Amino acid sequence: MIDTALVQGIIRILLVCIIITAAYIISTRNLLSLVSMYSLQSVTLVCLALALWVLESSPVLLAIAAVSLVSKAIVIPYFIATIQEKIRIRRDIEFHFLSPTTSLLFSMALMLVVYTVLSHILRDIPARDNLFFFGAVIGISLMLMGMMVMLSRKRAITKVLGFLSMENGVLLFGMFVTELPFIIEFLIIIDLIILVLLTTILTVGIDSTLEDYHKRLHRFRLVGGTEERP
Amino acid sequence: MYTETFLIAAALYAAGFSIPLIWWSRDLRAVRTLSLSCTILASLLLGLVSVAVLVSGNVITFMIYRPLAEISFGFSIDRLSGFFLLVIAAVSAPVALYASEYYEHLEGGSRRNLLAGCTNLFILAMVLVVASADMLGFFFFWELMAAASFLLVMYEYDNPGTRKAGLFYFIMTQLSTMFVLFGIIALSFRAGSFRFSGVAVPADPVVLAAFLSLFLGFSIKAGIIPFHKWLPYAHPASPTPVSALMSGLMLKIAVYGLVRFLLDVFAPDLWWGILILLAGVISAVLGVIYALKEHDIKGMLAYSSIENIGIIFMGIGLFVIFSAESLPLLAGISLLAALFHSLNHALFKSLLFLTAGSVVHATHTRDIEHMGGLACHMPVTSALFFTGSVAIAALPPLNGFASELLLFIAIFTSITVVDPLLKVLFLVCLALFALTSALAAACFVKAFGSVFLALPRSPESAGAKEVPRMMLAGPVLLALACIVLGLGAYQLFVLAGISVPLPDMMLVGLLLAVMAALTWTALYFTASRAERISETWGCGVHLQEPSAEYTGHGFSEPLDIIFSSIYRTRIRNERVFFDQKNSIFREGTAEIRLMKVFEEYLYLPAARFSLASATRIARFQNGCLDTYLLYVFITVIAVMVFLGWS
Repeated sequence: MIDTALVQGIIRILLVCIIITAAYIISTRNLLSLVSMYSLQSVTLVCLALALWVLESSPVLLAIAAVSLVSKAIVIPYFIATIQEKIRIRRDIEFHFLSPTTSLLFSMALMLVVYTVLSHILRDIPARDNLFFFGAVIGISLMLMGMMVMLSRKRAITKVLGFLSMENGVLLFGMFVTELPFIIEFLIIIDLIILVLLTTILTVGIDSTLEDYHKRLHRFRLVGGTEERP
Repeated sequence: MYTETFLIAAALYAAGFSIPLIWWSRDLRAVRTLSLSCTILASLLLGLVSVAVLVSGNVITFMIYRPLAEISFGFSIDRLSGFFLLVIAAVSAPVALYASEYYEHLEGGSRRNLLAGCTNLFILAMVLVVASADMLGFFFFWELMAAASFLLVMYEYDNPGTRKAGLFYFIMTQLSTMFVLFGIIALSFRAGSFRFSGVAVPADPVVLAAFLSLFLGFSIKAGIIPFHKWLPYAHPASPTPVSALMSGLMLKIAVYGLVRFLLDVFAPDLWWGILILLAGVISAVLGVIYALKEHDIKGMLAYSSIENIGIIFMGIGLFVIFSAESLPLLAGISLLAALFHSLNHALFKSLLFLTAGSVVHATHTRDIEHMGGLACHMPVTSALFFTGSVAIAALPPLNGFASELLLFIAIFTSITVVDPLLKVLFLVCLALFALTSALAAACFVKAFGSVFLALPRSPESAGAKEVPRMMLAGPVLLALACIVLGLGAYQLFVLAGISVPLPDMMLVGLLLAVMAALTWTALYFTASRAERISETWGCGVHLQEPSAEYTGHGFSEPLDIIFSSIYRTRIRNERVFFDQKNSIFREGTAEIRLMKVFEEYLYLPAARFSLASATRIARFQNGCLDTYLLYVFITVIAVMVFLGWS
């Protein structure tokens, strides 16, 4: 049997890893590394679920890990990579309201706020231990950071990634605090896959020619300037 | 048994509403007549119920629908409700009688079916407002009444003037509804339910806010100055029976609301009474001053309604003041005066509106300067209008005199009792009230004189014919009611078991009749009957031109000059020149017009302000997804912070 303290240490390290990936997602301008970072985040989440399973040995956690691995680490990143290959945007340089540096600073402040607020809200609930509180803070912060990505980037593709990272936050929070029923978790993941599929179809098209989809890209404002045309 | 009668009456009104809807596309007189017959029948039944309640003092209570413990739709008819139901019944039956003929002369084909149906809906809504047992039902039917009356005002919607009036009325009536809703919600917070139950503490800010909000809502609906502007727009624009119903009844429903809340819910402070009294005095004086200047006959009647509502509010204000000063007897007299004047005003105002409608129907104009000489062509109508004028000018022995006398008596008696500051206030109010009565008399002398007397001033007026019999029958009933209530005021109060310091009006009437007879006899026997033929300066009537006669404008000119500081005329003059130096004149326009003080200094700035703030708020909706996400983001953080801090 693995030592509990060791597992808890590992969980802490994984949570910090998740924060690092989120910070990278929020600050990077390189789109290619954005999607690999997202799949890295999902893999970390899978590891986290496995570590929690070691601690609690609940089969639901295993199922979550399996589903997440398939969908978030493989299927969704694959689709997004397809889009990126087609539309040939390498860099994301247009921002709304917040520039990457500001959003990084802002997300730090946000984590502090979440920590204070949650410690205030959960003060009466006998927390099982400090670890779960930590997980909850990271979960909500990840959610809000994902939202920040959504509102500060202009490209649809990064918005989608922000949304996906937000969903990771929800999953994290659910794993640590509320224990969402597995069926709901599963449904959310299916929704996500459909969302990404739709985005793919909208941007790339099922059977469209090159000219066609560029027109469509302009219509849906997925590409901004003219210099990105092939 | 009374419960069933009341329900049958309500069902008849509902039938009167639905029958024309079933055959709404068939332009049949029978449909409208059937619908309005339902109104008359229902009004008779309603009158029976209300008289029974008034005489016996029993309270009829029954529940219709109760979805939740705190929310219920029930009806409760006590003496106050019964009194107002009597007012509704007494006015709506003659008006329906009149409308059954009047609607046939309107244009609009089968749209008239809807008009007749909506008239029933409107009356039904008023009945249910008055009979409601709790505030939620009161509010619900209040809004129904507003909606129905809006539809009625908009009957001639293809006329741009009507559209403007309808918009004005809609905004004002919705404001009123909004304030009433605020008041009711605030009260339900304090009382814990929607029942008309007392909240004892007047100093509580929530109760205070509730009172102010309700007072504002009822004032807007009743047309208290400065919220009166919808009346002179809506009344001339709507069909005559609708104006009569709105002016005669709907304003009284607002009075009912105020009295109901003051009696059953609040424990009023002294200054509440002073507020109501001042609002009443200002409306009374300004209302009649504006009425004097108005030359649209229906507009003049609308302003005169404002004046009379002011008098009613004065009575209510005095009631609150005397209650707060613990003078129950005087408080009773004031409230009685207010309620009696409500009934009287409902009667004579609808009488005047109906006869004015007949005049407009016969002459096709609303401008009294184009009428004149109608006494010969329309003798019955002119006699009816004369009765209404005497009643509204508060001349003995008609009913207007009886109720205003009660109010005068209340103020006179109180001057010896109350403390000096109040005494000063009362004296000022008394003086203004007396001025109001005098000006009202002048106003109706002018109206009657320029409409019915002298020579016709337009070809339409010269060719006017007496209206059909049905259009006379309704006003005749109202005029009879005015006379009976005037002559029998004292006896009626004794019958209802209330002792009032009124003189026996029968005696007064008899004295007046004897005086008139003696004067006539003396003049008949002393006057010379020699025929004179005059020439040269044409002071006899033979050669007189209609245009040379004394006009309404001429009559009110001295008063215009006295009150010129209130009327505020505006002189505008624009010139265009041929050259740069402005020396060769090309064309120009000049205009002297009455400034619409309240419209220009209160309504338009308020409208502009709300438009500007709406534009500012509309900027939040900019169509950009990122901005909306930002709102969501900020809201989430705000909710979190709020949860963390609370």
